[in-house]
Amino acid sequence: MRAGVGGKDVVVWRAENGEIAAWDNRCPHRGMALSHGFVRGNTLACLYHGWHYGSSGRCSYIPAHPELDPPATIHARQYSISEQGGVIWVSVDDDAEGTDLGLAPLRSFIVEAGEDVVIAACASTPLDGAVPVVLGNSRFQVAGDTLMALCNPIGRAGTQVTILTAPNLPVARRLTHSRWCEAMRRTAEQEAGK
Amino acid sequence: MSLEYAKNDWYAVADGAVLERGPYKTQLLGTELTVSGPIDNPTVTDANGKRYPLQHRYSHVWTAIGDSPRPLFDIPEGDEPGRVLVPVGVVRVKCSPLRAVENFLDIAHFPFVHTDILGAEPHTEVVPYKAEIRDDLEEVWATQVKFFQPQASKSAGGGIITEYEYRVPAPTAAVLYKTCPPKPEFKDVIAIFVQPRSEEECDVWPWMALYDETSTYPELVQFQQEIFLQDRSILENQRPIKLPLDPKLEIPTRADMTSIAYRRWLKRRGATYGALTADA
Repeated sequence: MRAGVGGKDVVVWRAENGEIAAWDNRCPHRGMALSHGFVRGNTLACLYHGWHYGSSGRCSYIPAHPELDPPATIHARQYSISEQGGVIWVSVDDDAEGTDLGLAPLRSFIVEAGEDVVIAACASTPLDGAVPVVLGNSRFQVAGDTLMALCNPIGRAGTQVTILTAPNLPVARRLTHSRWCEAMRRTAEQEAGK
Repeated sequence: MSLEYAKNDWYAVADGAVLERGPYKTQLLGTELTVSGPIDNPTVTDANGKRYPLQHRYSHVWTAIGDSPRPLFDIPEGDEPGRVLVPVGVVRVKCSPLRAVENFLDIAHFPFVHTDILGAEPHTEVVPYKAEIRDDLEEVWATQVKFFQPQASKSAGGGIITEYEYRVPAPTAAVLYKTCPPKPEFKDVIAIFVQPRSEEECDVWPWMALYDETSTYPELVQFQQEIFLQDRSILENQRPIKLPLDPKLEIPTRADMTSIAYRRWLKRRGATYGALTADA
């Protein structure tokens, strides 16, 4: 999936063997976003020409030249990751340090609106007829449950939003909050479109 | 960027279909234009009412906004009797006009982007072909390009090895000659005329001159539009948006010889509108 880290466009993906990697979201061949690519076994393949990259970021296969062993110079730029509390943390500068927030991740998605607009939409999008209560520290009380919204700028004017909930919420409740995420996204994008 | 260079090329800015709907507002190299009138007698004006020269060729209205435009290139096949001329309409793409042309010159993406139409795994290999800058013509040519295609065109019955030739007669135009299944001695001509709205947005006008006696006009248009819409999903997701001319920024392989020649040719001509150059 596509993610925003420190203003950079990043692709985060999981190989069949469970390994997770985060790279610059750009195929070194023709600049195509690797987040549109497809996972084949333990490689990520670019959608444009099908070049395969292994978990170290190195290109392992070029379909246009099936016999060729691709030179080591062809590789995606790799970033450091850390998995903590069910969340994947990425650093584009140095070693990633995750934080266990003690919350359960619900959804991560991209909203075509700035962070301010997203935060305002989190505060104004009602659930079950009640407007959320702003708790500070990116936390909101939504219909009785505490939700946290982690925001990262992405692209020209977008925000990657990761919503976490209190742990151990029943599935039905998580589904309700997932639908609230959709409503919040619509509110933010409508506001940004004005 | 070189706006001055780009201003003195001709660009397709309208076809008969858009003009039938009344005056057509568009944008060329950042300038707002209005194309009015029937396709055989149109006018092209800017917001101040200034009129620009125009030509009606290859089913499109062409204009140039510079003071001393270079001659419009010739596509002789457009005048051959027996060919059906098909303007495919317009596809708006948020990408550099040069990236749109480069994608048109690329065959290695067929199995992945035009899956089961222009290519299919495991037939992904690009065998060596010839790409050159023809100094006599000042054009880029690629010849002896061969590729396995499950459904090469609307008139192809099944999978065949298709032979291609590519020609780049201007920085934002490309012509493709390909094996024509019903008449192997002739070649189908498919071109794209790319209208640069800005350095990062273009309108693509595909055009065909075919020997196809069986398909109807809407079928031909639909087939090509499907192909171009698949290309758009790639073109709008390439970064940087502008085409890098420095070979260090994007690593090519032997399959990219046409693209390498094209980038080199653009640099040599100074045709850098839509390109990422060292001084940009």
